[in-house]
Amino acid sequence: MKRLVAAVLCLNITAGLTGCQQPQKKPAVEPAPPFKAVGDTVSGRKDIYLIVKNLGSSYWQVIIDGAEDAAEEFGCNMYYSGSNAESDWRSQERLLDEAVEAGADAVLLAPNDAVELAPKIDEVHDAGVKVVLIDTTANTENYDICYMTDNLMAGQLAAKEMLKQLKNSGNSLADPLKVGIQVGAQTSLSINERLAGFLQYWTRNAPVDWVIVPDIKCNDGDYEKAVTCAAELFDEEPDIKGVFGTNNGSGKGFAKEIKKRGLNDVVLVSFDYSQEVAELIQSDEYTASTILQRQYHMVHTGVETALSLTAGKHFNEKFVDTGVVVVNRNNMQTAEIQEILSHS
Amino acid sequence: MKEKNSAEQLQQGGSFFRLMMIYLIVCSIGFTVMMICVNKLMKEHDKTLTTQICDLVAEKMNNSISYMTSSAENMAAMLTAQELKDFDNVYGQTRFLKGEAYISMGFVDMQKRIYASDSELEEFEKWDLLEISKQADPVSISPPYRSGLTGQPVFTLFANITYGGNKKGKLFMTYPLKEIQNIAYTETLADETEIWLMNAESDNLIQCAGKDKYAVGSWANAGLTFEKNINESDRDDYLDWKQKMSDGEDGAALVYKSGQTGYTQVFADIPSMHGWKLVVRIPSSAMSSAMMKFRTIVIVFTTLLLLATFIMFVMSHKRDEADKEILENLSIHDPLTEVMNRRAFDMAAQTQLAHIGRDDGVMIFIDIDYFKTVNDKYGHDAGDKVLKEFAALLKDVFGENSLIARYGGDEFLVFQKGADRAEAEEKMVELNRRAHDIRPANCPEDDHYHVSCSCGGAVCPENSRDFEELKSLADSALYDVKERGRDGHGWYAKGSGK
Repeated sequence: MKRLVAAVLCLNITAGLTGCQQPQKKPAVEPAPPFKAVGDTVSGRKDIYLIVKNLGSSYWQVIIDGAEDAAEEFGCNMYYSGSNAESDWRSQERLLDEAVEAGADAVLLAPNDAVELAPKIDEVHDAGVKVVLIDTTANTENYDICYMTDNLMAGQLAAKEMLKQLKNSGNSLADPLKVGIQVGAQTSLSINERLAGFLQYWTRNAPVDWVIVPDIKCNDGDYEKAVTCAAELFDEEPDIKGVFGTNNGSGKGFAKEIKKRGLNDVVLVSFDYSQEVAELIQSDEYTASTILQRQYHMVHTGVETALSLTAGKHFNEKFVDTGVVVVNRNNMQTAEIQEILSHS
Repeated sequence: MKEKNSAEQLQQGGSFFRLMMIYLIVCSIGFTVMMICVNKLMKEHDKTLTTQICDLVAEKMNNSISYMTSSAENMAAMLTAQELKDFDNVYGQTRFLKGEAYISMGFVDMQKRIYASDSELEEFEKWDLLEISKQADPVSISPPYRSGLTGQPVFTLFANITYGGNKKGKLFMTYPLKEIQNIAYTETLADETEIWLMNAESDNLIQCAGKDKYAVGSWANAGLTFEKNINESDRDDYLDWKQKMSDGEDGAALVYKSGQTGYTQVFADIPSMHGWKLVVRIPSSAMSSAMMKFRTIVIVFTTLLLLATFIMFVMSHKRDEADKEILENLSIHDPLTEVMNRRAFDMAAQTQLAHIGRDDGVMIFIDIDYFKTVNDKYGHDAGDKVLKEFAALLKDVFGENSLIARYGGDEFLVFQKGADRAEAEEKMVELNRRAHDIRPANCPEDDHYHVSCSCGGAVCPENSRDFEELKSLADSALYDVKERGRDGHGWYAKGSGK
C-alpha cells in the first residue's frame, strides 16, 4: 500500500512539475595571455593594441606579423594578445578592458563573437579609444572602421568556384550530386556570412539536382573534431562529390580525410591557407581550391588607419572589403598568389 | 470481552487506515488527472495564443515593410508628377538629403545609368542590384547586404518612376535592416519574440529582431538554427512546414520542442521580396509564465488542502474513537462497579447462549444480604464502596471470561459459559467465604458486621437453554437460599422458588 501511495505521489510530482534542464559543460579553454609588445616600444608613440581570435593559428600569425611590420613602418607601439579558441569571446572581453586600463590609443580587434562582444565594443568606443575591427565586424555601430572580407560575397565566390570545379571534374549537370558543408562555429558572423553567401549563390546557380547535404557539420573550432566531422560526412554520404569548409580548420579537416581515404573525385573548396589544403591544391590527383583573405593587408591598413584616427582624421566609410583571391591549381604559381602566400 | 473489544478496535483502526489510503489514492489520482488536464490545457492555450501572436507580429512586420515600400512608391509618384526631364538635377538635389529612416536615395534611368555614390555603385555591381530593380512591380526589395557606408546590414527598395515624357526608370532607397525592427517594435513580448527573414531556397536567415538587440542583422542558417536543434519527434512537422514555405504558401504555423523549450513558429510571405519569408518565433513559455504561477499555486493549495483534510480526518477519527470508547463503556458497564450493566449483560448472555451448542453454562443470581442496612448504618458512600469491592470480588472469583453484571441495586448476575455445576459450586462457596472479608468503610473496630451474600444458580442446558427462563430459575434458586436464611448458595430444583 505504501509503495502504491509513493508511486501515486511521484506521479503527481511528475505530472505537476516540468523537468529541469541540466547545464551542459563546456570544454575548458586556456585563457588569453597578457598583452605582449611586438618589437620595440618607444615612449611618446601611440599605443595600439591588437586582439586576435586564435593565437595558435597560422592565419592569425600572419595578422600578428603584419601588425609588427606596420608598427615598424608607421612608428607606433604595438601590443598583441588573443584567445586560444575562436569560441572564446570572454577572453577578448577581458583583453578589451585591459587595453583600456593600459591606456590604449586604439584597439585593433577581430571579434570572436559579433553579438556577445558588441556591448563591450560600445563601452570601449565610448571611452574614447579608437576601435578598428579587422577580419570580422560586430553587431554595433560604435566602432570607427572595419577592414574585412565581405564574407557574404566570399561565400558566393566559394560556391562559384565549387560549381566550376565540379563541372571541370566531369560531373554531369543532369545527374544528381551532393555537396557537404562543415562550419567552424555557429556564432561566428564571418562563418555564418560565408555559409549564407555560399548557399545563396548555390540555390541561384547550381543545377536543380545538385543539392547541399542538409546536415551541416559544426566542429566548434576544434581541428580534431573537424577531422571527425569530415569522416562522419564521408561515411554518411559515400557518393558525395564536393565539400565546402567555411574556415581554415574545417578545410584542414576535410583535406586530411580526403587524402586518407584517397577521395580524388571529391572537390574541396576551403577558406584560408594550410599545409593540408595546399598539398591537395598542388597535387595532380585531387581537386581543391581555397579562398584566400588578405589578412596581412587588413591589419597593415588597419594599423595605418588607427594611427590616422588617433590623429583626428575621419573616414566616410565604416566597412572596407579587403577582397579575396581564389587559389587553385591553375593560378597557384602566379606572382599575385605567391605574393599573397608569402604573407600566409 | 476486553480482548474482543481490542480486536474490534484494531479491526476498526485497520479499516480506517485502509479507508484513508483509498482516500489518499483517489485524491492523488484526481490530483494527477487534474494536473495533466491543466498542463494539456496550458499547452493548448500556449499553442493557440502564441500562433495568434506570431501571426500578428508577422502581419505587423509585413505592414512595416509595406510602409517602406509605400514611402518609395509615394516618393516615385511625387517625382513622376514633377515630369522630370532626367535624373541629373533631382539626384544632385536629393543625394545629400538624409531621410529619417533611409540611408541613401538614388535613381536608375532607362539606359541603366545609376545615379549613386561610388560606394553604392560598387554595391550595385557586387550584389547585382540592377537585376533586383527589374523585378519592381511596382516595388522590389533586395536581399540584405552589408553597406560600406554604415558597415551594417541594409536592403534597397526599388520603385518604378516615369521621367522624360514616357521613359521608365527606378527610384531606389536604401534602408538599414534595423529600420524594419524599429517600425515593427512592440514592447509586448519584445524579449521573447524572434523575427527573421528567411530564404526558402537557401535556408539562409537574417535576424531582424530578438532577445539580444546586438543579434539584429546576423546571418544564420535555418538548418543549424532550427532543424538541428528540434527534437526528433517534431522534425517531420518542421520539414512539412518548410515544404509549405518552398511550395509558395502564404503562411503556416509550427509548434515544436527544442530540448526542453517549446516554440511556436510561423512564416508569412513578403509580397515584394521575392523568395523571402518572414519567420516569427516565440517560446511557448512566454505565454505560460503567468499560467505556471497559477499552476504552482494550485499545486501548493491542493497539496495543503489534501494534507489538511488528511490530518483533520485522522484527528477526527481519533476523537471519535475516544468518544466511542467512553460511550461504549457507559453503555456496557455499570459506572459504579465497572461490571456490565443489565442491558449489555442481557445482549451478551443471549448471544453466548445462542452459540453455546453442546457446552455447559451456569447462570447465577447473587444478592448482597441486607445491603439496605449497610446504607442505613454506614451511609451511601460506604454502601457504594461495598458494591465496588463486591464487584471486584466477583471478577476475581469468576474470572474475566465470565459475564458479570450489576442487575439491580445490590443484585448481581453471573453467566459462566463452559462451566458445569461442580465448578460453579466451588466458585459460589469461595464467594460466600470471601464476601465475609468485605467490611464497610467507617465500620468501627468493635463492630463485627461483615458482608455476606446469597447465590442461586441454574444450569444450562440441564434446566433450560432459554436466557429468560434460566435467569428466572436462578432467581428462584436465590429465593430458596434467602428463605433458608441467606449467606449461602443453592441450585434450582423442580418445585423450588416463590
